[in-house]
Amino acid sequence: MTFKIIVFVKQVPDTDDIKWTEHNTIQREGLDSIINPYDVAAIELAKNVKFILKDCKILVVSMGPKQAENVLIEALAMGCDEAYLLCDKKFAGSDTLATAYVLSQFVKTQCSDFNLIVCGQQAIDGDTAQTPSSMAEKLGIPQVCNVTALKDIDLSSSVWIRDTNICTQQIKLSHPCLISTSLKNADILPDINGYIKAQTANVATLTAEDLSVDIDKIGIKGSPTQVKAAYRPVIERNTVVFESKDTDTITDFIISEINNCKV
Amino acid sequence: MTEKVLVYLEINNNKLEKVSKEIVSHSKHNFPDFEVIGLLLTDKADVSFLSEDISKLGLDKLFVAANNAFADFNSSLFANTVASYIGEICPDVLLMGATSDGRELAPRLASKLNIGLTADCTDLKIDENKTLLATRPTYGGKMMATIISKTKPSFATVRQGAFKFKPVSLVMPEIIYRNDDINGLTCYVDVISTNIKPEIEDWTTSDIIIAGGLGLKSKENFELIYNLCDLIGAKPAASRAAVELGWANQDIQVGQTGSSVAPKMYIAFGISGALQHMTGISNADKIIAVNIDENAPIMASADIAIPADAVTIIKSMIHKLSH
Ligand SMILES: Cc1cc2nc3c(=O)[nH]c(=O)nc-3n(C[C@H](O)[C@H](O)[C@H](O)COP(=O)(O)OP(=O)(O)OC[C@H]3O[C@@H](n4cnc5c(N)ncnc54)[C@H](O)[C@@H]3O)c2cc1C
Repeated sequence: MTFKIIVFVKQVPDTDDIKWTEHNTIQREGLDSIINPYDVAAIELAKNVKFILKDCKILVVSMGPKQAENVLIEALAMGCDEAYLLCDKKFAGSDTLATAYVLSQFVKTQCSDFNLIVCGQQAIDGDTAQTPSSMAEKLGIPQVCNVTALKDIDLSSSVWIRDTNICTQQIKLSHPCLISTSLKNADILPDINGYIKAQTANVATLTAEDLSVDIDKIGIKGSPTQVKAAYRPVIERNTVVFESKDTDTITDFIISEINNCKV
Repeated sequence: MTEKVLVYLEINNNKLEKVSKEIVSHSKHNFPDFEVIGLLLTDKADVSFLSEDISKLGLDKLFVAANNAFADFNSSLFANTVASYIGEICPDVLLMGATSDGRELAPRLASKLNIGLTADCTDLKIDENKTLLATRPTYGGKMMATIISKTKPSFATVRQGAFKFKPVSLVMPEIIYRNDDINGLTCYVDVISTNIKPEIEDWTTSDIIIAGGLGLKSKENFELIYNLCDLIGAKPAASRAAVELGWANQDIQVGQTGSSVAPKMYIAFGISGALQHMTGISNADKIIAVNIDENAPIMASADIAIPADAVTIIKSMIHKLSH
């Protein structure tokens, strides 16, 4: 039986390129969109699995607006086999819990015979790192985060390297399971077959109805967290500019400040 | 006391995680009228190995759930256990550290309870309606968002170093120790091997931190920061740009993607003061910036701005201090 992997990807603004409006909000027009760098690493891990197991299919899925199709086509060019866009106005404003619910509904309704889900650990625009774990719970499957490498895999189970600031572990999970990777920006070059395939590929678009989503659990209304205020951080102190330019005076001043601080 | 805050206390290598202590301290000092309750999961027969730490926390009550299965972290098992305690305690606010384990456990737990979660907070406040206001950086640190939750308990994870740990005089909280039955379906996770990394000395709690950035011009000059720190008894730190050039190790990076620190004094040599850097030192008592450019952003956000060449000042300080 073909081993089925689902990779979830997100389209994100290139945060190195943010411009501000005069009202201190983010100027969205003209903001470059890229495939979340952690998700690129997830695709790479999925391809490692496919390389080992051979009889394997990689489904790539994104929830987002119509133009998120672009990142899915890019993912196909990187070597994924099928692409799905979860696109519905009703999804807009979903927080991570609601998003994880929608994604888990994709799995339940479209690909319930999956063997493995691979995610990037976080998105560079939100950095919340919540969706993978939240989804694993909704699907009732085991998970490991902070994955940096695949150690071993067969049809029934896999061993992953989990690397945190405290330890490095080898963790074995039985399939189906979910892993999320803390790597980012794997340099995946489009492969020639993938590139050709992507030219004519068809991205399937699915709506809330297709996924049997309960609309009370999605969008702004179905999201338990609410942004009360968003602002550009200003870090202000009553700055005193030191007058003297004389090296000795400055040196003595800093040393005396340090000594004051020590008592 | 009517409201309750439940803090999940994380243990690694038989020690209480620093961020867990910081969260308890912050709750104790900033959430008036809240009862502060701790919960920890352990495979040990008692928690005497933590007595000293626990006595300084200022908790009102501590629940200890014990089972051999808690020796290894397993998010599904831990989420099931914490959820059962939440059912019993009914906290208004639920907090845990945004550690590697915490960031895996918290969303799983939130999903299980169908509640909202605000991750990686750098500030927590309680408003006049006793609602939790959780603030976190977003958009790569270029924006801050304050988030409230429509569901109970309000749930947030907190970055290490966002708050200060202020030990209280030794008082043991009431401890409720239970041998926990593991019930409910738990997903199977098999930890085949664990290699504990050598513990890096915790520099982030130092009273004085001296940091260098690109204004130091070279790795050689950056090393002067280490000499200076040795003479003063301070700890060195770096901007991300200095880390990216290989002048300093990532472990000592300060800022949004590094450590948050709250020293009595932070001295920044040749650092421009990008927001992502400044959010990591917003809780420092005093910031001194030495920068050649009077118009660098840090010169308007430090307490004392000294327009000067960083390397000249560092060398002069080293000279004076070693004579
Ligand atoms: C998502 C994201 C996360 C980030 N996270 C972090 C983070 O955690 N920490 C962090 O630090 N950055 C972070 N950054 C990067 C941040 O935006 C800045 O690029 C970085 O902090 C700049 O480092 P710097 O101040 O050393 O270098 P620069 O910005 O190049 O500043 C060098 C300064 O040195 C001064 N200078 C030059 N010559 C001299 C001299 N002779 N004497 C004294 N001063 C001199 C200059 O005037 C200038 O102000 C992040 C960025 C992004 C997008």
